[in-house]
Amino acid sequence: MAFVRTKGLQGYITGDSPVPWLAPLVAMLVVFTIYPLFYNIWLSFHEYVPLKRRLVYVGTENWSNLFADPRFWEALSVTFTYFFVLLAIQVVLGMIIALLLDSDEPGFGLLRGLLTLTLVIPPAITGMMFLLMEDPEFGVLTYILEAMGILSGQDPILATSSTALAGVMLADIWQWTPFMVLIFLAGLRSLPQEPYEAAMLDGASAFQTFRRITLPMMSKVIAVAVLIRGIDLFRAFDYMFVMTSGGPGTSTYTLSLYAWQQTFSFIKWGYGATISLVSLVLILVIANLFIWIAKVRW
Amino acid sequence: MIVESKYRRYSRMAAAWFITALFVFPLYYWGTTAFKEAKEIFSVPPTVWSFTPTLRNFEEVFGISFGFLRQQEVLPGGGNFYMAPRLWDSIVVALFSTALAIAISTFAAYALSRMDFRGRHHFVAWVLSTRMMPPVAVAIPMFFIYKDIGLMDSYTGIILIHALMNLPLAVLLLKSFFDDIPREIDESAIVDGASRWKIFRRIILPMAKGGIAATAVLCFIFSWTEFIFVLTLTQTGLKTVPVVSSSFVTSTGTAWGNMAALGVAAMAPAFLFILLVQKQLVRGLTLGSLKQ
Repeated sequence: MAFVRTKGLQGYITGDSPVPWLAPLVAMLVVFTIYPLFYNIWLSFHEYVPLKRRLVYVGTENWSNLFADPRFWEALSVTFTYFFVLLAIQVVLGMIIALLLDSDEPGFGLLRGLLTLTLVIPPAITGMMFLLMEDPEFGVLTYILEAMGILSGQDPILATSSTALAGVMLADIWQWTPFMVLIFLAGLRSLPQEPYEAAMLDGASAFQTFRRITLPMMSKVIAVAVLIRGIDLFRAFDYMFVMTSGGPGTSTYTLSLYAWQQTFSFIKWGYGATISLVSLVLILVIANLFIWIAKVRW
Repeated sequence: MIVESKYRRYSRMAAAWFITALFVFPLYYWGTTAFKEAKEIFSVPPTVWSFTPTLRNFEEVFGISFGFLRQQEVLPGGGNFYMAPRLWDSIVVALFSTALAIAISTFAAYALSRMDFRGRHHFVAWVLSTRMMPPVAVAIPMFFIYKDIGLMDSYTGIILIHALMNLPLAVLLLKSFFDDIPREIDESAIVDGASRWKIFRRIILPMAKGGIAATAVLCFIFSWTEFIFVLTLTQTGLKTVPVVSSSFVTSTGTAWGNMAALGVAAMAPAFLFILLVQKQLVRGLTLGSLKQ
């Protein structure tokens, strides 16, 4: 009986074809990601000519223009700055807050619940919230920063090229640091207690305990959080679109925003597609490299 | 159990409350802006605590009148800031795209959880990699494709693209919930002569219904908050709340009060939903990779 049962289960697990079960998913993904991908590649070798009112084959012109376009390089640098700076801030800040909230005291459940609220706000509306708070005349944040002497009344946060990106980043930090906090907190709360008791008996300092016990045990959790947050940071679009439209100058232009504006504001369909392809390739390479190095498994 | 000293305990509580207050403040400020008259929104220094609350912003945005609450003129619907239909657009898109994403991904997740076919890991990696695509790299070609096939500016078009956007999340998350159901249960059903379809219908789906509900809630929220696809693939036919809120920025100034009122209405259901899935939230945010 036991034999028959195992055989039955084996047949069940490896027997039938998964094709009918996966077909709808594959159909959707092919129609909405593979086909657009090839369409995008095709677009990148064409350009819209207003006089002819149609797309014309231009060979590799879009690609050679791209590498000679200083605005593209600036967008690339803004994207990477945004990516690395915010990833670092959100990981460190997220870890500090998570360590702070890792407690069974009454009220801490409520605090965790309050922090989750930022995650479900439409990012475009978060952008608006910070646009209001950073308004040069009546923004409450501008007012506080001026009162603290950090900001002089002359320079509007979002209209000064040295501070605009920081002003946009603030919205992202506010909305997504809680994402890190919640993930880290779940990791911290599932850690075994024994190593900590042993460390305390050995007289280890708090920092040593964190460095030698907490961090190694949290490495998988941190890797997953960094991967998922990193993907979204690289694709940043909503905040800049509503807060600054990329300006002043190119100071808040990300690749996604630059691609979108070239396509829809400047009617350079082929060139916009080219930029979006670069963004696509970069994120796929970086994310998969990270998955491979950090050995993240699904 | 490691016991904290009294001093450390209180300073931890104080710091925790302070940090949380910093994160809640923008929400408070936005929420109160929805109840402010323009002169209080534009006042310098900004009014934070004391202002006379008004419902005018909500009346204008939803085209309803709270006139019975006070003696003032009634504003009919249809003004510049009348946005009730846009809220309806958001609800329709989020509901149908969630239903579609869940329908497709329960089947796929079942196969990925219960069938050991060759290349399964590569398949999972492929699904995951579609989650990495920048939306703009899909939105640009889809704009032209939708124009060609007439899906531009239609509910169908937006529902399809939002379902697609949620598929990687739904598939990976549901797979992790299905993986939690021990295979021994399938095994005993086989002994009883159950077919694969019957196991899926009668065992897997009922046992994972909590997980399916949590997945649906997350799909709903991501559709509800999505921006770039709706921005790109609609013109006048429909607009969801995040996109339409940018139309409050006009040449004569920004209607902050109305925008905040709409924003509050957009956040309220999402806040309610997220509290329902607190337990599965971390698993959901990490696409099923980490369990709480």
